[in-house]
Amino acid sequence: MLFKDQLDFVTQHIKKNKVRVFMTVLAATMGCAFLIVLASVGFGLQDSLRNEILSNEKVTKIQVFGDKQFTEDEIHEIKGIEHVETVLETITVNASAHSFFEGRDTNSNLYVTNMQNFEQVNGKLAEGKYPSKPNEIIVGYHFAQTLLNDAERNIIVEKNKKAEVEGTYYDGNEEGYKESLIGKEIEMSLVPNTGTVEETEKMKYTIVGVMEKPSNDWMINNSIYVDVEQKPVLAANLVAGDVKEDEMFYSEFNIFADSMENVKPILDKLKDKGYSVYSVTEELDQMNVFFLVLKIGLIFVGTIAVLIASIGIFNTMTMAVTERTREIGVLKAIGASPKLIQRLFLMESTFIGIVGTLIAVAISYVISFVANAALPLILEAATGEDAFSKSDIIFSLIPWQLVIIASAISIGVAMISGYRPARKATKIDVIQALRQEL
Amino acid sequence: MIQVENLQHTFLIGKKGKEKQVPVLKGVNFEVKKGEIVAIVGKSGSGKSTLLQTLAGFMKSEQGSIKINGKEIANLTEAESAAFRLQQFGFIFQNFQLMPGLTAFENIELPLKLQGTKKAVRKAKVKKIMDKVGLTEVADHYPNELSGGQQQRVSIARALITNPPILLADEPTGSLDSETEQDILLLIQSLNRELGLTFVIITHDEEVATIAHRHFRMYDGELVKEEV
Repeated sequence: MLFKDQLDFVTQHIKKNKVRVFMTVLAATMGCAFLIVLASVGFGLQDSLRNEILSNEKVTKIQVFGDKQFTEDEIHEIKGIEHVETVLETITVNASAHSFFEGRDTNSNLYVTNMQNFEQVNGKLAEGKYPSKPNEIIVGYHFAQTLLNDAERNIIVEKNKKAEVEGTYYDGNEEGYKESLIGKEIEMSLVPNTGTVEETEKMKYTIVGVMEKPSNDWMINNSIYVDVEQKPVLAANLVAGDVKEDEMFYSEFNIFADSMENVKPILDKLKDKGYSVYSVTEELDQMNVFFLVLKIGLIFVGTIAVLIASIGIFNTMTMAVTERTREIGVLKAIGASPKLIQRLFLMESTFIGIVGTLIAVAISYVISFVANAALPLILEAATGEDAFSKSDIIFSLIPWQLVIIASAISIGVAMISGYRPARKATKIDVIQALRQEL
Repeated sequence: MIQVENLQHTFLIGKKGKEKQVPVLKGVNFEVKKGEIVAIVGKSGSGKSTLLQTLAGFMKSEQGSIKINGKEIANLTEAESAAFRLQQFGFIFQNFQLMPGLTAFENIELPLKLQGTKKAVRKAKVKKIMDKVGLTEVADHYPNELSGGQQQRVSIARALITNPPILLADEPTGSLDSETEQDILLLIQSLNRELGLTFVIITHDEEVATIAHRHFRMYDGELVKEEV
């Protein structure tokens, strides 16, 4: 029998029992949609957490534990490991930078680093370029915003009071210097954290670049980054401020891989060499294992719904075989092979599975979209916290892998539930079947 | 063309464990030549239907041999038997056995579909056979819209559509009035004459047997008499 004729045969029977088939498809749809939506919660939460972790840290970064100071030889050795892009030394100055500009001032952290290496790992800036001259610096994204005069400070205090009454807080984003700082010269003095002395003498620097906005809205970056060549100048300034030489700077070393995939082999090699190192990808690995177990659990629970729906398919197909006993008998009598009869009934249950799955996938995407849009608002209304609507939490995510898994389960279960009735159809006795009344 | 030798079959009747053996075919022997109409006449329970069902491969005999054109078919598997039926046999049933959801045209087309014939070829063949058996007018009618005689013509057309060399008829006029019965018998005779088809007709009706070239009488599981 041609495949097209087999399809015609199946659709003809489905049309004859529209309501029954519709109800069975509905059950299959509900089961499959439940499976997809349930598992999508696992996928969504995993994605949210993954994004959260990756937004805080550069994925290719390998941190070195403690205050381990690398020697030149060690740096050379580490750089020699395959796929290591660079070893970045970031020196934190043990003083806060007090900057002055056009009657405004601000306090910020001061970092000293090799600008070439820094550019390599940090990538593009929000504005400007990386320093190429000794007195050039780059500043954090919020540096201009935190450059305030007294009047603005008072306004911020007022706004903060008002915000506190409403149970929120005000971050001062409406105040500060509003124009571009690129090419502007600032004066900077140091306030040692040792608390032993007053501010040091002012030094002049030109801002040539502004860092990208931090990945999280709540992060404020108004730090100042100067090239490592300025270290002696800063040291001289601090010495004048009576800071002991070994308390001036703290170095932090970070190793950067050329891609995320290469982080693990580099980590393993570094650990073998006796370095205490850590990468956010290790956290991701642990998290992925946890979510894998969670997702398997959710898919298992969802599969139970599909199995319940399969009872409907089994019943429908058993009814179909019983009702068509005489027809099956005639087909067998005129030469239909048992295999063909089995295939025709399997096609019918598969059709129910496929249609149910297709509708379920479409419905699941709608439910997922609505859940992601509405749940934050509902939670905000229920709890009074606006954290849900402001954060990027994904409550439900349906990747293509989930669609494939759910479809395979749903269609597979539909076929299995149709198998027994289809086998029963092949076993129908021709003589008994032909004796049946119309 | 058909050679049946020592065909035996026994039914088990009664509750499980207390079954009683009832022999229905007790060593049946007969032969049918190509182009013959052979009638097997007998009363209800004589075993004539069992003989036809065994011949058709609907059931397996316990012993004996059935050869069609020299090919032994008594031991074929279910699938082999189905494939053999599709090529070699046409069936005419007492109560027509048409598909209620299919039109006359579609019912006749069914064996061609099972053979995997393309639609255009099917259409031409069905039209031709419908003309031959006088059904052109009712091609789009469903079985419940046809008279008994028309339904049996559809059944005969369906049996002929694959050009089988042998037609097996089980009480072909059993559900028809006497006038229609004559029509159908004349049709069988003309098909036999014009196409050289071989018919094996099972009947309890002596009238039907009159169109046969030879007829056998079945009595208590044995072919006891042959009348020419």
